[in-house]
Amino acid sequence: MADETNQLRVRLVTPERVLFEAAASAVELPAKNGYMEVLFGHAPLMAELGAGDVIVHGAGVAETDGVAGAQHYNVSWGFAEVLPDRVTILASDALKPEEIGVDRAEEQLVRGQKMWSEAGESEEAYTEALHVIAEAEAKLATAAEKH
Amino acid sequence: MANVLDLRRRIRSVKNTRQITKAMKMVSAAKLRRAQERALSARPYARMITSVLQSLTGRIEIFDPETGNLRHPLFATRPEKRVLLIIVSGDKGFAGAFNSNILKTAFQFIETNPDKEIDVEAVGRKGRDLMRRRYKAAEYVEETDEHGQTRQVRAERKGRVEVSGDHPGMLLKLETARVFKLAESVIARYVHEEIDAAYIVYNEFKSVIQQRLVVERLLPLIEIGSQQVAAAVEPTEEERERAGEAAISAGIALEPADTQEADEEARRFGTAQVDYIYEQPARELFNGLLPQYVSSMLYHAMTESVAAEHAARMTAMDSASNNASDMIDAYTLQMNRARQAAITKEIIEIVSGAAAV
Repeated sequence: MADETNQLRVRLVTPERVLFEAAASAVELPAKNGYMEVLFGHAPLMAELGAGDVIVHGAGVAETDGVAGAQHYNVSWGFAEVLPDRVTILASDALKPEEIGVDRAEEQLVRGQKMWSEAGESEEAYTEALHVIAEAEAKLATAAEKH
Repeated sequence: MANVLDLRRRIRSVKNTRQITKAMKMVSAAKLRRAQERALSARPYARMITSVLQSLTGRIEIFDPETGNLRHPLFATRPEKRVLLIIVSGDKGFAGAFNSNILKTAFQFIETNPDKEIDVEAVGRKGRDLMRRRYKAAEYVEETDEHGQTRQVRAERKGRVEVSGDHPGMLLKLETARVFKLAESVIARYVHEEIDAAYIVYNEFKSVIQQRLVVERLLPLIEIGSQQVAAAVEPTEEERERAGEAAISAGIALEPADTQEADEEARRFGTAQVDYIYEQPARELFNGLLPQYVSSMLYHAMTESVAAEHAARMTAMDSASNNASDMIDAYTLQMNRARQAAITKEIIEIVSGAAAV
């Protein structure tokens, strides 16, 4: 299994398309209960994702984004499978930082806060509001980092 | 016999029509190509969700060993008394028999199940218009429960079949977020036992010559990864041939693109023969994945239906262009005959006039 390159094969898949597929040296994932970083040789793992950034380090030479070869993708909700030489991320929604509409994310945040204050006793509505807020905040954070 | 001028006018008009149908055919061909690409790029995700669910069902019991209850309500089967029928039709006409075939299949389903109450959910404008005309819309009343919360409760039925909702424009700009909302609402209705099963009618589309109309069962989930087809209508040989001809003249590949390698790759997702560390309990993962699975089934049906609609329109417009060409040929012949007859007549007049002198 071990090849000399010690590279992970990373794939980021959304319901609509395969957004990213390349070899990389490390990936940071926004798991539901906190960020984690995966290096080559990680133990097999399945995780549910929350809202946040997937950061791919040292990916393909051709596509180097400004930040020292690290590529950011904003993902919200999904699942990830980690194998020693492979990481597959199934995201419900994934965006490149430049695709994030700051206005729309802000709108979403306002909407989420409104839902939160109107949720009252209903646990379902409360969780949904928190979901919306988390997603919007993650998007804004990614967008802010970029500028 | 019509005179030359009239015929010439007719020909010009038919030529204009042919221009329009030709343009529409090319537009549909381009849209079909895009729809096919979209269906293709949605495949890895759907495959992965399916395979990871399959592998999870092998690892955790669907039945709770302690209580004997089902782990997830979506696996519960009940006698089908109330059924949800999702009808995926087109948004526009000019597509041959595409919309009417889908609606025919839907009505057949309604008629063959006379003892069931059916809720219709229409996706696509054409289907919605007809269903609305034929059946009453479902009504809801607000009710306050003992905790002082208001919720929507279904009012008494006015007929066996009711339209519970429609989604115009969903196909025009197919977004997973909207499809997911629909999936969530279907799941919620199933979990609250408002419906006992959910079916979807749509036009399956593997390639231009490989398509059929299916009624597929969405819920309850009986076996993950296998299609539960309740009824299917295959196109006739003639229809298939026509579609093939139209596709070739528009430069569309007849065979579906080869994706075997990618499919194999996707099928391996989450199924490696190792013990995974589960970040969350497997059950939680499972519950998170199920709605995604239902949503991806819906999305898949819609992408295929969109592709099929464009293919049907392309075929219809190709036939229309061919018919227009035939008509032009016939009229040209007729016009030349009329012109010749007029000339002959004039010559005879001159000759006989000269002879009389």
